Amino acid sequence: MSNAILVVGGGFSGLTAAIEAAELGHDVYIVEKTPYLGGRVAQLNKYFPKLCPPSCGLEIQFQRIRKNPRIKFFTQAQLVELNGCKGNYSAKVRIAPRYVVPHSVDFSLLASSLEGEKDNEFELGLAKSKPLYRSMPFAFPGRYVLAPEALTAADKARLVGNKFINLAEEAKTIELSVGAVIVATGWKPYDVTNLTNLGAGSVKNCISNMQLERLASPFGPTNGKIVRPTDGRAPQNIAFVQCAGSRDQNHLNFCSYICCMATLKQCCYIAEQYPDARITVYYIDLRAPGRFVKVLDKVKAMPNVTFVKGKVADARQAAGDNVEIQVEDAVRGEKLTLTHDLVVLATGMQPTLATEKLPVKLPLDEDGFVAGGEEAGIFAAGCARMPLDVMRSAQSGTAAALKAVQTVKGR
Amino acid sequence: MAQSIKPDMEFVRELQAAGGESLKKCFQCATCSVACPVSPANNPYPRKEMVWASWGLKDKLEKDVDLWLCHNCGNCADLCPRGARPADMMGAARNMIYKNLTQPSIIGKWMSSAKGLPFLFGIPALFWLFIWWIRSFSNGWCPRTEDGRIVFGNIFVGDYIIDPLFMLTFFGACFILYRGVMKLWAGFKPEGQVLMVDKTKPWYMHLVDVVWEEIITHKKFSDCGADKEKSSRKNGHMLLFYSFVILAIVTAVVAGGHWVGKLVPVIKIETPMPLLFPVKILANIGALMLLGGLSVLTVRRIKLNPKYQASSFQDWYLLGIIWCVALTGILAQCFRLVDVAPPAFFLYYLHLVFVWMLFAYLPWSKLGHLVYRTAALVYVRMYGRG
Repeated sequence: MSNAILVVGGGFSGLTAAIEAAELGHDVYIVEKTPYLGGRVAQLNKYFPKLCPPSCGLEIQFQRIRKNPRIKFFTQAQLVELNGCKGNYSAKVRIAPRYVVPHSVDFSLLASSLEGEKDNEFELGLAKSKPLYRSMPFAFPGRYVLAPEALTAADKARLVGNKFINLAEEAKTIELSVGAVIVATGWKPYDVTNLTNLGAGSVKNCISNMQLERLASPFGPTNGKIVRPTDGRAPQNIAFVQCAGSRDQNHLNFCSYICCMATLKQCCYIAEQYPDARITVYYIDLRAPGRFVKVLDKVKAMPNVTFVKGKVADARQAAGDNVEIQVEDAVRGEKLTLTHDLVVLATGMQPTLATEKLPVKLPLDEDGFVAGGEEAGIFAAGCARMPLDVMRSAQSGTAAALKAVQTVKGR
Repeated sequence: MAQSIKPDMEFVRELQAAGGESLKKCFQCATCSVACPVSPANNPYPRKEMVWASWGLKDKLEKDVDLWLCHNCGNCADLCPRGARPADMMGAARNMIYKNLTQPSIIGKWMSSAKGLPFLFGIPALFWLFIWWIRSFSNGWCPRTEDGRIVFGNIFVGDYIIDPLFMLTFFGACFILYRGVMKLWAGFKPEGQVLMVDKTKPWYMHLVDVVWEEIITHKKFSDCGADKEKSSRKNGHMLLFYSFVILAIVTAVVAGGHWVGKLVPVIKIETPMPLLFPVKILANIGALMLLGGLSVLTVRRIKLNPKYQASSFQDWYLLGIIWCVALTGILAQCFRLVDVAPPAFFLYYLHLVFVWMLFAYLPWSKLGHLVYRTAALVYVRMYGRG
């Protein structure tokens, strides 16, 4: 019997659930797959509803975690086994090696001297990083990470003997005893390579909305300047393709809820940097729930933003690395073939569990969202349950924490 | 200006029954109009047809020339995010036109579901059986000639039974098709006056262009895409089309040889023709092509992914009736050649029944596209669309 709670996933809803439960006096373990806490929110430039930078909400959460001895978190860690029953689970967690010593050593000089390069997952293919790197701009934990597979022979020679680096470090497996589990495995951007009629990710200057977040972020690959990835030129004629893979039986069969708002937000980013740039938003329906309709009104009033009802069904490369799209303006009944110098695919949220298995017996619906499991003391939070914005993710984290606390109370 | 719409819900239900069952799933995203490789930029289809269909705007659909520009390749259905199957809806709307365009409309009703099959088959079956029965008084049911051969003309005499009856059927169908096409053409025209700014050719010149540029080459089929599935559509249809052309030529030559031969004995042709007679060789080549085309198209239909496209009763009726015509014709010949009289006569009787069905019901069947689609293709050339 245990009254500890395991939280799988260290994104916004997982952190919230963990903190709320810990502040009610329970021991909480957070298991996070990536080297940092903060999840998808950390990748955003700004987030709803107040359009603040992600550090704004996350820093507070990190503070609360730092100050609360009841919370223990493991990064680069994955749940590999869960045995037992409600109130009495034993969880096996595998922690991948980080290859650097446990305290925050400043490796910036050493890192810059390395030759090897690796894909930077955090920047979504827009940048490379050194094999020794900080996983995100305001990473918590702030420790560097080493990816030995990206080291060249010279790099290895340089690192051998460094007393802060342990290339021989091995993965560890720990066992935790918990009474309830919160599944906050979150989401990932829908894979654009599936969208064959929209170029399947091979069309230059046709990027995803999450990539635009990185381009707009002051800590991103362009230091916040929104430019075309191919030539670094400022875009003058931008298109947003809504429902790129969402509400589509061949892709995500549901509305991802946030892409309309993300696009409206991104229209603001662009209008702020390039007041003269023309923006066209191609949509099926614009969904601005509740008070967000004010944002829609604001963007509609912008002089350079045009809304066209019709789903873009074809995107291909045009001369000058531009993108040619085809769409029917369903109001005017006209099939348009237009060229834009930057096209943003408003891709939706795919629940992580749709493609990655968790060693937990958990009923999923046909789209991969968690649909049940509460009778076993397993509670889903955030986008593992349904597509949500950040604020509602936090709310669902609190809700899951409350349910978990009630499950383990008095044990 | 506010527009009031009178939805015809009965029409929507009929359309759904005729093959457009998923049309209500459409949320008007307009993917289909872009996916369609032959739909024009101005006022493209099939998105607008999908909204007319779900609103029950019967009048708009009936007068829509675009229904006939669609060659049913299914690209729209493959990309449709909701599985609304626009290609099937366009097919269903055409089925509704076959059903309602011409009189007597009871035939259209019979043609719209398997329930009508007993009537469709029963009428010619009883009629030709009656003829057989009458003729059996003189020579018996399966007579042989004096030299012991099987000659179908001994029962179903060309001069005063087959030829006049089939002429009547054929020209009757032509007349009904003519009335149908005039009605359809009048519907295509927009209300009010059409002002032609440039010189235009007369309709028959456009018809020549359509036949020459589109029908002979099957160009629209190629425009619809060239992957494996799509090319089987084109090849199957082309085989079938040219086998019909060959068999029509054979029929005309035999009929001509028979009737004109009465005046000019040199060109006289009598059936059955010897197997190595050139016209007979051509006829059998046509029959084999018919089987080939039918096989390709039938396999394609069976393989259709039900998630994207399905086959309506009209689709299967037309394929089925042509299969029946081809098989009974070929088998009747085979039994005649191996000299077994009863099955030979019976299959020939069935052959007459099915051929009659093919022609007599043509205006209400999917084969009507032969005339209606051609008319639409001529229309868009005259009035500058497509």
